[in-house]
Amino acid sequence: MAQQTLLSPAELAYLHSSLSLSPPIRPDGRTSKQFRPLTAETGILPGTNGSARVCLADGTEAIVGVKAEIEKTADPLGDDGERYREGEWLEMTVEIPGLRDDDAGTVFLAELLREALLADGELAKKLWINRRFHWRLYLDILLISPPLSYPLPLLSLTTHLALLATRLPRLKSEGDEDPMFDDDWEAAPFLYPRQGGAAAAGSRPSITLLVVAVGDSILFDPSKEELAVADSALAVSLCEVRRERGQSSMEVDSGRELRLVAMRTIDPPSRLTPPGVPSTANLAASGTADVPLQQKQQQTSDEVPQEGVWKAPLGGTPFAVLDSIIQAVLEKGGVADEVLDGLEGVDLA
Amino acid sequence: MADRRRINGPGGSTLPPVYDETESDAASLRQRAPDAIRPLYLKTGVTPSASGSAYLEIEPREGKHGSGMKLACTVHGPRSLPRSAPFSPYMVLSTHVKFAPFATKQRRGYLRDSSEKDLSTLLETALRGAMIADRWPKSGVDVVVTIIEGESTRQDAVERRVEEWDAMNVLGGCITVASAAIADAGIDCVDTVSGGVAALVADKNGGELSMVLDPVALEHESVLAACCVAYLPNRDEVTNLWFKGQLPSTGTHNYQTLVAKAVQASRGVHGLISASLSEVIENSQG
Repeated sequence: MAQQTLLSPAELAYLHSSLSLSPPIRPDGRTSKQFRPLTAETGILPGTNGSARVCLADGTEAIVGVKAEIEKTADPLGDDGERYREGEWLEMTVEIPGLRDDDAGTVFLAELLREALLADGELAKKLWINRRFHWRLYLDILLISPPLSYPLPLLSLTTHLALLATRLPRLKSEGDEDPMFDDDWEAAPFLYPRQGGAAAAGSRPSITLLVVAVGDSILFDPSKEELAVADSALAVSLCEVRRERGQSSMEVDSGRELRLVAMRTIDPPSRLTPPGVPSTANLAASGTADVPLQQKQQQTSDEVPQEGVWKAPLGGTPFAVLDSIIQAVLEKGGVADEVLDGLEGVDLA
Repeated sequence: MADRRRINGPGGSTLPPVYDETESDAASLRQRAPDAIRPLYLKTGVTPSASGSAYLEIEPREGKHGSGMKLACTVHGPRSLPRSAPFSPYMVLSTHVKFAPFATKQRRGYLRDSSEKDLSTLLETALRGAMIADRWPKSGVDVVVTIIEGESTRQDAVERRVEEWDAMNVLGGCITVASAAIADAGIDCVDTVSGGVAALVADKNGGELSMVLDPVALEHESVLAACCVAYLPNRDEVTNLWFKGQLPSTGTHNYQTLVAKAVQASRGVHGLISASLSEVIENSQG
């Protein structure tokens, strides 16, 4: 997703050097592991099975609606065979204003979110009704503000909340009969129940965090300006697996286990930022037309990055950096825990 | 009224003949060592009209009706951007990955579908890190990869969920072939990037987990997790990392070993690219 940042090379170099400090100094004063404040609510769309709205402090806002339909399973005999096609039971669309829906960036985002949700194969089990019928879930993700920053964490958190708020009508029929449902919406169980022993155990919908590395520092939830100077960006999808809380009820909410389900490198927009020119090589700044010297400077500036002169990052990311990003994400009591705790506090309407 | 201008297919539906195979399942199991990649054939300069091109073929699976992957890549450019395009201080890279309509078991249309677009974006990320883009301001490069033949054949079982894992192999092949074609086009890169895939698989006998390089999903009972990297061997850097799946929470199989295995696979592939390129240089000199 090409986002134009209107920052000059000098501003980029300044931002990069202040972000590579230890601890990094971020433009909005956050610490490296702090998320932007967000407001979230669920159940805003009465026509859906579950919906959510998340609004980030920078003004970006997304809504997600989940709708479920009953569908006949194509091959009712194949008990096992059908399991392999379960990925098709979830249909997902992402709409970002100003971008075509077949834009490569939008498709990439949708695939990323989709693969994270389906990675554990738990969702399809929940959509199974009987051998002849299953639910088909339509997930429509709408970014209703212009994409001010890379919208991945926002869309992922909204999707997570919407799935948590999703309820499917209670099944009244048994076995392989045509499904019959309770028409009392109050009795409809949640797709991902919160309480209740065995039902609440198991994996929860995944969340995807965007993490960037600038110099030696690792920053969570980067803003647009931070992304513009990032050396590398990684989208890490996690899934919370809850263990059944039976005998050891003394534990206070420690039955959470984070599991890595997907990872993708994101092309950082910093590669497309304009390079700076050192003032020694700049004719307008030095005012001398010393051609041989200038040529020499040009050659050296091609290879050796100069302090304070912005140059778009070249090459890939060392594995050690990627590894430290993943460690920071999976860390116990780290950012992922904080985000999940925050989302836990949202009322499910 | 019959349409006489075009050659139409038969009016009714037909079923393709399916022959009984007496061959046992054993032939489709993996015969290679877990840390062996399949033999590859790589040739550059196959399309004279493009500024760079390459063709990659992966050896078919063992067994009677195996199918290897065949990929062709053409690189057009660097050429000047159209007048209407905005100024860019860098080379503008655009990648297109397209399956030939007949490449997979399910026919692909002529328009790129979402999985092909997704692969294009992943390939772009992998290549952009390797190219020194500021040496060509105001110019554009198109990298077009066509998958002529996919990995699954018509005879393979339908109901296996292998396509999503095959995408990793396809991406690995795309990165390798595109990298060779870019080298053939003479575009400056910091290093030759190569793609490698590794997976954690469970096999039929005993369901024991093992990590394999260059996995073919059809050869295993199930694939639990897979990882594809685009790797720069001389800089020891990763330009693209794509991981998905579920790793068991206990045991030694963790993502670090999986990524290390994928890097090992891409190192193997890198040897092939450099061998193929140096062969071209020797031929042109001698």
